[in-house]
Amino acid sequence: MPPAWETIIGLETHVQLRTKSKMFCGCSTAFGAPPNTQVCPVCLGLPGALPAPNGAAIGLAVRGALALGCTVHPKSIFARKNYFYPDLPKGYQISQFDQPLATSGTLSFLSPERGIINAGVVRLHLEEDAGKSIHDRFAKATAVDLNRSGVPLIEIVGGPDLRSPAEARAYLLTLKQLLEYIGISDCDMEKGSLRVDANVSVRRAGETALNTRTEVKNINSFAFVEKALTVERDRQIALVESGGSVTQQTMLYDSRENTVRPQRSKEESHDYRYFPEPDLPPLVLTPEFVAEQQSELPELPAQKRERFVASYALSREHAAVVTNSRAVADYYENVVRAGAEPQAAANWVMTEALADAKDYQDQLRVAPGALAQLIALVKGGTLSHQAAKKVFGEVAAKGGDPRTIAESLGLIQVGDSNVVSGWVTDVLGAHAPEVGRYKNGETKLMAFFLGQVMRASKGKADPKLAQRVLEEKLAS
Amino acid sequence: MSVSREEALRIAQLAELDVDDEALPELAEQMSRIIDYVAQLSAVPANGTVKAFVPGPDAIRFRADEVNPAPLAFGPAEFAPAFKEGFFVVPKLDQFE
Amino acid sequence: MSDAPAKAVADRLVKAKRLNALLTPPKDLRKSLSAQAAAARPTGVLYGMPVAVKDNICTLEFTTSCGSRILEGYRSPYEATAVAKLKAAGALIAGKTNCDEFAMGSSTEHSAYGRVLHPLDKTRVPGGSSGGSAALVAAGAVPAALGSETGGSVRQPAAFCGVVGIKPTYGRVSRWGLVAFGSSLDQIGVFGRSVHDAARVLSVISGRDPRDATCEDRDPLRLPTVPESLQGFVIGLPREYFPAELDPAVRRACDRAVRHLKDLGASVREVSLPHTPYAVPTYYVIAPAEASSNLARYDGVRYGPRFDGHADVRSLYRTTRGQGFGPEVRRRILVGTYVLSSGYYDAYYRRAQQMRSLIAQDFRNVWDRGVDLLFTPTVPTPAFKAGEKLADPIAMYMSDVFTVTANLAGLPAMSLPIGRVKGLPIGGQLIGQAFLEDEMIEAAYALERVVPATDEA
Repeated sequence: MPPAWETIIGLETHVQLRTKSKMFCGCSTAFGAPPNTQVCPVCLGLPGALPAPNGAAIGLAVRGALALGCTVHPKSIFARKNYFYPDLPKGYQISQFDQPLATSGTLSFLSPERGIINAGVVRLHLEEDAGKSIHDRFAKATAVDLNRSGVPLIEIVGGPDLRSPAEARAYLLTLKQLLEYIGISDCDMEKGSLRVDANVSVRRAGETALNTRTEVKNINSFAFVEKALTVERDRQIALVESGGSVTQQTMLYDSRENTVRPQRSKEESHDYRYFPEPDLPPLVLTPEFVAEQQSELPELPAQKRERFVASYALSREHAAVVTNSRAVADYYENVVRAGAEPQAAANWVMTEALADAKDYQDQLRVAPGALAQLIALVKGGTLSHQAAKKVFGEVAAKGGDPRTIAESLGLIQVGDSNVVSGWVTDVLGAHAPEVGRYKNGETKLMAFFLGQVMRASKGKADPKLAQRVLEEKLAS
Repeated sequence: MSVSREEALRIAQLAELDVDDEALPELAEQMSRIIDYVAQLSAVPANGTVKAFVPGPDAIRFRADEVNPAPLAFGPAEFAPAFKEGFFVVPKLDQFE
Repeated sequence: MSDAPAKAVADRLVKAKRLNALLTPPKDLRKSLSAQAAAARPTGVLYGMPVAVKDNICTLEFTTSCGSRILEGYRSPYEATAVAKLKAAGALIAGKTNCDEFAMGSSTEHSAYGRVLHPLDKTRVPGGSSGGSAALVAAGAVPAALGSETGGSVRQPAAFCGVVGIKPTYGRVSRWGLVAFGSSLDQIGVFGRSVHDAARVLSVISGRDPRDATCEDRDPLRLPTVPESLQGFVIGLPREYFPAELDPAVRRACDRAVRHLKDLGASVREVSLPHTPYAVPTYYVIAPAEASSNLARYDGVRYGPRFDGHADVRSLYRTTRGQGFGPEVRRRILVGTYVLSSGYYDAYYRRAQQMRSLIAQDFRNVWDRGVDLLFTPTVPTPAFKAGEKLADPIAMYMSDVFTVTANLAGLPAMSLPIGRVKGLPIGGQLIGQAFLEDEMIEAAYALERVVPATDEA
């Protein structure tokens, strides 16, 4: 039975660009400095200061626009967005308004409900970040830190193309992956280099017009994206079903209570009085500049996934995991280039390598060549899979050569059929009754015999070989 | 009067300027006087093809992405009206979030 | 340099105290001048020259209050590029001069620190907004001073006070450190006793500055030599600047100056700048609009004094700005906010920007017809009496009618004394082509030598 209600969601993301200096001044953008130490007349909004635009930030913004398939406009205009707030030093933010850097792009992503969706990107523009207001440091006062004031941002405005909170989360994760891939941002919601606000409205199934929407803010993690939107959607549906109507307002998400509440009104809805920034001439992009940004773009995630499926015969799911980040994808390919069989390489990367990386700040500690070697040792029967996992751990922690480490740990399997035959003979000899039962049909006893052989060999017997020998001897 | 008292008050609030009730009527009058005066611009027929003229360079120059901030002879602690533990201090945001 | 010159400079400035033109207390002035004199670069082209600086230009020496309470006592932690260049050329920063608050005004009656007196008649205004700088130069207290222009704030007081005042082409001088009023109109300008003094200082402060994105990437201004004649110059007289109602003395002085220009060999012809009648309303939309945004940063949060009575942030803003700004500034912020606000933007701001284009085009049309420079009266009248134009803001705005067009079009313009009426100076204005200050200055050199600037017109 189709749902009675349809949810319409559009996301606005603000992404901090990875530059050394700020958007309009030469202050450092490094995270974590003591408050108000990365400031200058420009980002402090001192009388007489003027903005000087960062060329690298412009380049990264153009790359983002190209990766999203946007139309990049050769001429765009900076504009002032005027409002008062303690961490907005000039009383206006330099942004872009009716002539933005880029428009009309697409983000293709896999919806958990509807398959591949091509969500529209309405616009992408450049702007500067505000400082930080901290409300709980001083009693009855707010602390303001302007280190972040002026950091370059791009704002990416998505169209009302998402149809569920889960879809919104998937869109956001795909966007994060894309921007990380092209290296223009860390996209870390914890550190605030990726922020999202959501526009939400509901309508009865079958309606085509869009109803009044609310804006949901204060969403601080990917998990909260889904929760916040679910809560707001449910609130709107309940409201309309009980005869009320949705008012256009800003809702703040409270993650502790998992609720949304209206932002206390700022008396009147914002009139930002946008006008072209008189301190900045137009932003003109030459075709050469745009071409240069295009050439700096790496293979994008979707293309890489397709290529991995085709070249390495990986399943779509495995390809997705292994291409989740550029670092992992590059690592995987290096392991394969070092001689590992692609499927085995994928398994090892997806399990051992990623698990280890999780505990070590995403570092892939085992060199690709070493992992390839390890995989070969398992394939050749020299190491059991279990033993190889142990060796992996050692190489990750201390480095070194897998074979040498395996030998020093005494993990090298015995693949000598004579030696293995010896153990098998001993085991079968010691368990005559079980041999009898096996021959009478209790074939499940094979596991028991195998276990005994492994015990007798102190784990060193190649289990596959042992099993073959057992089968041979028991058959006779 | 082209600018009513209510409108004058609304504009004053947008501009975060205190206007007491006594001063409001005169302010609305003065604003009206000025707005009426500049409104003669609308006597000229609108021509959508005329582009805005802005003096100065035709395009921005791109600054290199280097850390070299404009120097401050002394830091915020010296010129801030209220500064504590490295932060600017303002009264609590009662009506903001 | 010994301390004697510094002391002499300080003495002369202190003697002019009654004008209320200097905001720097004598004690601070003396101390700083001594220190500066000791450090001044002897090889600089302006070595030892005292230059007073308008109080809306940031200096490390002295405070920068912009004639306002909201920046009372504010010490800027950085200095304007123009000031740095003066110092690099060996000049001495001879104090900060009184001005209309945030450069908004045409009489220097809107300063929070009291009005400036006209050096020749204390009942009259020196003009504005750079009245303090003009008065000090006219009184002989300093040979040169920096001012700023948004709608005529250097040329008009230069005309009223009988000194030379030059506004460069927009983008000729860096605005880094000039406290912004109308960003697309503002330029630092120079006052001097003579064309040469003013032009030299302008040359030093001009030139590229990567910190100002609106400053053109050009070498500093090269000064022309004093010409023998103005043979080959075509000078236009725009009829809209010589209306029937022009003060008769001003007209006589201009007519006399034009005769001199012809005698010097210039070819003079009448031209038209048809959109001139719309210049003042256009200016009074664009300038307040930009100002309303530029002055939003004065909120009591990061610098300047805090006024009492702020329980929360919003009341901090409102009391700071309500009490810190004077009535003219408040009016302009409100007008500016209004014309940018939703529902009015198209009718006012966008329309004014289009009109600005038409005004700029008027000038281009005239240059295209072979005209090199324009000559006009600088102001319709000589200096008016203090208090005369305070009742009606529009009356004050009309004082700018001949000057705002050059700011709107971004063109260089200057005023030089061309006569007197009942002892009050009258200024003649030259308007030049963009980045051709040298031609304008050349014509000014020639005219200055022959026109009887202190004779009754």
